[in-house]
Amino acid sequence: MSFVIATTIAEAVAAMASGARPIAGGTDLVVGARHGKAALPQHLVAIDRIEALLVVHDTADGVTIGSGVSHSVLESHPLLASAYSGLADASALVGSPSTRNLGTIGGNIMNASPAMDTGAPLLVLGAQVELQSMRGSRRVPLSELWTGPGRTSAAPDELCVMVHIPTPLVRSGSAYLRLEYRRAMEIAVVGAAACVVLDEDGFVVSASVALTAVAPTIIMVDGLHSLAGANVPEAAVRVGVLAAGQATPISDVRASAQYRRHTVGVMARRAVEAAARRAAGDIVAIPLNRAIGIGAAS
Amino acid sequence: MTATTTAITTSPPRFVRADGPDKVTGSGRYTADLSLTGVLAAKFRYANIGHARIVRLDVTAARAMPGVFAVLTADDVPDVRFGPFVQDRTLFARDVVRFEGEIVAAVAAVNAVVAQRAVDAIVVEYEPLPVINDIEAALSVESALVHPDWQSYGAADALVRDRNDASFASITKGDVGAGMAAADHIIESRYVADGCHAVPIEPRAVVAQWEGNKVTIWTTTQVPFDARAGVCETLQLPTNRVRIIVPHLGGGFGGKCGFHYEAHIAALARVAKRPVRLVFTRREEFIAPDRRRESIVFNIETGVLDDGTITARRAWLAMDNGAYTADAAFFSQLAAMHTAGPYRIPNVQVEAHLVYTNHQPSGSVRAPTAPQACWALESHTDEVAAAVGIDPVEFRRRNAVDTGAVGPSGQTYGEIGLQQCIDLAAGGAGYGQPLPDDEAIGVAIGWWPSFSVPSGAYIKIDGDGAGQIITGAQECGTGSVMTLRDLAADELGMKPEDFELVYQDTAVAPYDMGATGSQTLLNNGRAVIAAAGQVAEQLKKLAADHLEAAEADIVLADGHAYVAGTPATTVSLVELAGIAAGGQLLIGHGSSTPAEAPPLAGSSCVGDLGMAAFVAPQFSCHAVRVKLDRDTGVARVLHVSAAHDSGIIINPIGAHGQVEGAVMMGIGQALSEGTTYDDQARQRNAALLEYKLQTCADAPPILVQFVEIFTPDAGPRGAKGLAEAPNIATAAAISNALAKLIGRPVRQLPMTAERVWNTIQGDAS
Repeated sequence: MSFVIATTIAEAVAAMASGARPIAGGTDLVVGARHGKAALPQHLVAIDRIEALLVVHDTADGVTIGSGVSHSVLESHPLLASAYSGLADASALVGSPSTRNLGTIGGNIMNASPAMDTGAPLLVLGAQVELQSMRGSRRVPLSELWTGPGRTSAAPDELCVMVHIPTPLVRSGSAYLRLEYRRAMEIAVVGAAACVVLDEDGFVVSASVALTAVAPTIIMVDGLHSLAGANVPEAAVRVGVLAAGQATPISDVRASAQYRRHTVGVMARRAVEAAARRAAGDIVAIPLNRAIGIGAAS
Repeated sequence: MTATTTAITTSPPRFVRADGPDKVTGSGRYTADLSLTGVLAAKFRYANIGHARIVRLDVTAARAMPGVFAVLTADDVPDVRFGPFVQDRTLFARDVVRFEGEIVAAVAAVNAVVAQRAVDAIVVEYEPLPVINDIEAALSVESALVHPDWQSYGAADALVRDRNDASFASITKGDVGAGMAAADHIIESRYVADGCHAVPIEPRAVVAQWEGNKVTIWTTTQVPFDARAGVCETLQLPTNRVRIIVPHLGGGFGGKCGFHYEAHIAALARVAKRPVRLVFTRREEFIAPDRRRESIVFNIETGVLDDGTITARRAWLAMDNGAYTADAAFFSQLAAMHTAGPYRIPNVQVEAHLVYTNHQPSGSVRAPTAPQACWALESHTDEVAAAVGIDPVEFRRRNAVDTGAVGPSGQTYGEIGLQQCIDLAAGGAGYGQPLPDDEAIGVAIGWWPSFSVPSGAYIKIDGDGAGQIITGAQECGTGSVMTLRDLAADELGMKPEDFELVYQDTAVAPYDMGATGSQTLLNNGRAVIAAAGQVAEQLKKLAADHLEAAEADIVLADGHAYVAGTPATTVSLVELAGIAAGGQLLIGHGSSTPAEAPPLAGSSCVGDLGMAAFVAPQFSCHAVRVKLDRDTGVARVLHVSAAHDSGIIINPIGAHGQVEGAVMMGIGQALSEGTTYDDQARQRNAALLEYKLQTCADAPPILVQFVEIFTPDAGPRGAKGLAEAPNIATAAAISNALAKLIGRPVRQLPMTAERVWNTIQGDAS
C-alpha cells in the first residue's frame, strides 16, 4: 500500500507509470470501497493539489476545464452557466453539496458510470479529454472514451488532465435533466442532454442528444440529422420517440426497463425543448430539473 | 369542559433542550464513540439465506486465528427461547435459519478487520428449505411452515395462533351481513403496503464490559429496561447484575425498541475477558434487527347509503410478521382497529392475521400498522365518497367520530377534537379553492391510542440548591425527557436550567417503558410531577418553619418561598436547600398510575391484547397538496396542513418538531420508501442510495395546528402523546390527492413514480 501526494502532473503520471491509481475527491473510489464494490487500490496518487488541474480557461476555440475542477465550481461558473448550460445543469445535480465540493469532472468522466450526470452534456457539447502519461499526451473524443460500465479506452497509466469543449455555435443552447425520486443524494434513474442550434426563424438547424442510464455507457441518439428545418415542438417529440426506441435499459431496483425506456423519451423531449429555449435566448434557470420540476415541481 | 382551539402558526416559544448544546457542538458522546481499555471489535456471521437447515457449522479455524478472542454459536449460550409474546427465537440460529439477517455466530477480535476475517473463516453449510415470502400464500394449508414446532413454543395466553398465523385478531360489532344488505352501495378495495424501515441516522452500537459477575452494557436502545430484561432472560442473570446505559441516542423511530444484541456482546465479553464493542454498518442496520415496518395486504368492503351514511364495514388483512415474532403480536388487533377507523359504523367485522414468512421480523416502527392501514382505509374512504357523490371532506365530517360518539369497537369517546382537526387541516390547505390541473389536495384522518403504563422518577435537590431529575425515561430525540425539566421547575418555582437530568441508566433510575408508544411525557411526566410534589412539600415545611408561617400559606415561585399575600416574607430555595442538607434531605419519588382501559360495549374481540380500547385517543387530519408530472408519474408534495388533537400541548416547539418530522417520514412512506425482496427473501435495497429517504431539499412547507382539549385520563396537564400520531395520515392524504389527479387510486405503497405511472397507464396492479 502506498499513497503519494502529487503537486505536478509530471509527478502524478510518474506515480501512475509505476502502478498507482489517481484519486481526487474520492467520491467514487472511497464510497465504492466502503460499500464493498471494489477494494481501494493498493497504490494511490492524490491529484487534488495539482494546481494545473484546477483551471477553467476560456480559449479561442472553446473552454478548457482542468480534470480536478469540482462540480460546485462547474455549477456556478459564469462562463459555463451561460455558454455550456447543460454541463452546469448536470453538475448542480450531483450528490449533495459536500459531494459536489469534493467530486471532480475528471473523476466523473473516468469513473465511466452509465448513470453519471456530466457525461451526457459533455457528449452533446462535443467534449474531448486530454490524457497524459509518461509516454506523452493525446486527445480522445468522449464518444470514443467509454467502452462499458466503469471501463474506458484510456490506458492504466494515462491521467485525464483536461476536458476541452469547443465554442458553441451561434443560436445554440444546451440542457440536461434527469428523472429523480428526490432532490438531493440522488442518482439519475434516466437522464438526457440536448444541444440544439436554431436558425434565425427559430427552426432547428441541428440537434444532438445523449442519454443517461439506459445503456452500458452514455449513448448518443442516432438519426437526428433529419431534424434540420423542423420546428422545435415537432423536433422534441421526434427526439423523444427516437430516444425511447434506441435506449436499451435494464430492470433493477430503481426502475423497470419499460419505465426507463418511456421516461428517457420524456427526458429527451424536455431536454430538446429547454435547449431550444436557451438557444433562442431565454433564461432557463440552472439546474433545469428545478426550473421545470422533474421530481421537484417548484 | 373547555375546548380551546389554538391555531399555532407563528414561531413557538423558546425552549432550550438540555441535550441540545452537546449534540450541536459535537461534545456529546454516542455509544460508538466509547473507548475502553482493551476493547475488542465484534462482528456477526449472518445466515445470508432466506430459509435453510444448517448441516455443518465449524468455527475451529476462526477460533484459531491470531487476534481472535471469542467465537460463539448457539452451543455457547444458555438454550433459551425468548420473545415478548411468542418465545420463538434464540440468540443464535439453532439447526435452522429463517431469514437472511439471522445470527449464526459472533466473533470478538482485536479489531474489526480481524473480526471480519474470522467471520469469513467460519464454515457453514446449508440445505435449502422452501422460502416462504408471500404472506397470503403462507396462510394456505398447503404452505410450508416457518416454525414447524410452533405449537411447542411458549406464548401469551390471549394469542390465537395457527401454523404460519402467529397472531389472529378480530373485532366484531353489530351484524355486518345485515348492514351490507341494508346498503345502497357496497365498495370493495384491495390495497397492498410494502414493508419499510425506521432508518435512524445512528446505526446500532453496543459495548459490554464485565466486572466480576456484573456486566455494564452501553447500547443504542430506546428501551433500556426492555433491553435489560432480554439480557437477563437469555443469559439467565438477575436484573441487579445487568446495568444498561444509553449514551446520547442518534434517533430511533421505533427501530431501536426491543432487545437487540446486548446479550450477544455481553456473552462475547464474558468469554473474551475483555470489553467488546459492536458497531453496525448501514447494511446490517437494514437487514438484521427485528424492527421493520410490516407489509400488509388489505381487502376492505364498506356498505353505504345514498345519503353517505356508512352501514357496515368488513375487512380482511394479512401482515408480514417475518421469521420471528418480536413485539408484532399486538399488531393484529391494532391494525384491525386502524382498518375499521375512527368512524361511526354500526356493523363491523375486521379480521387480521400476522403471518410468518422468511423475511426480517417486523416490529414497532413509529405508529406500527397505522400509516399503512390509514393509507388503505382512507384511500378506500375516498372511493366510497366518490360512489355516493359526496365531497371526501364532507363525507368524513358526517361519518367520523366526535365527542360522545361510539367508535368501531364499541368505545364511547369523551371530549375529542377530530371534527375540529378536519376543519383546521382542510382550511389550512385552502381546500376547495381552484388549483392547476396537475395539482390536487387529498385529505385523510387518523387516530392513535395513548399508552398508559407504569413509570417512575426521583428528584433530589442538593445543599447548593442544584436539582437532579433521576428518571428511567429514555430520550430518543423527541425532546420528551428534555421537557421533564420544565414540569419539575414549574412545581418547585425553579427554572428548568436549575435541573440536570440523570437518565438512561437502569442502575440508578426507576423503571420506565422507554421511548416507545408516545408514552414518555404521558407517564414519566406524571411521575416527575409527583416526585417534585414531594420535594415541594418538604420545601414548604422548611419554609414554614423558617418564616414562622403556616405550611399551607407557602408559595414556591421564582426560586423563593414566600407567604401568600406577603411576598416580602421570603426565603430563597437555595437557603432552604442548605438547611435541608444538614437534616432531612430533599428527595422525592414519583410513580404514575396507569389509567384504566375504557369500557367497550356491543363488540367482541378475538386475540385481544388490549388494543381495542383506546386510552386518551389522539386524532389527526392531514391535508396535502400534491403536484403530479403525468408524463413520468413523479409526484411532489407542495404543502402539508396537519391538525392534531393531542390534548394540551406542553412544549409547543417540540410538538411542532414532532409533526414536521413525522410528516416528512410520511412523505417518504408515501412516495419513496419501501423494501423490495428477491425470490430468496433477501432485501434488494438495503442501502441509503437505493432505499430512498426524503431529504431536507424535498421538504414542503408544513402548517401545524393543534386542537387543545384537556383530557382527564391522559398525561400531565391533560396532554396526550404526539410522537406517533403525526406519522399516520400523511401517506393517505397523498394517496387521495394522487387519486384525484389520476382518476383512480394507486393500490400499492409506496406510491413510487413508476407505480403512479403504471396506474396512469391503467394498470391498477
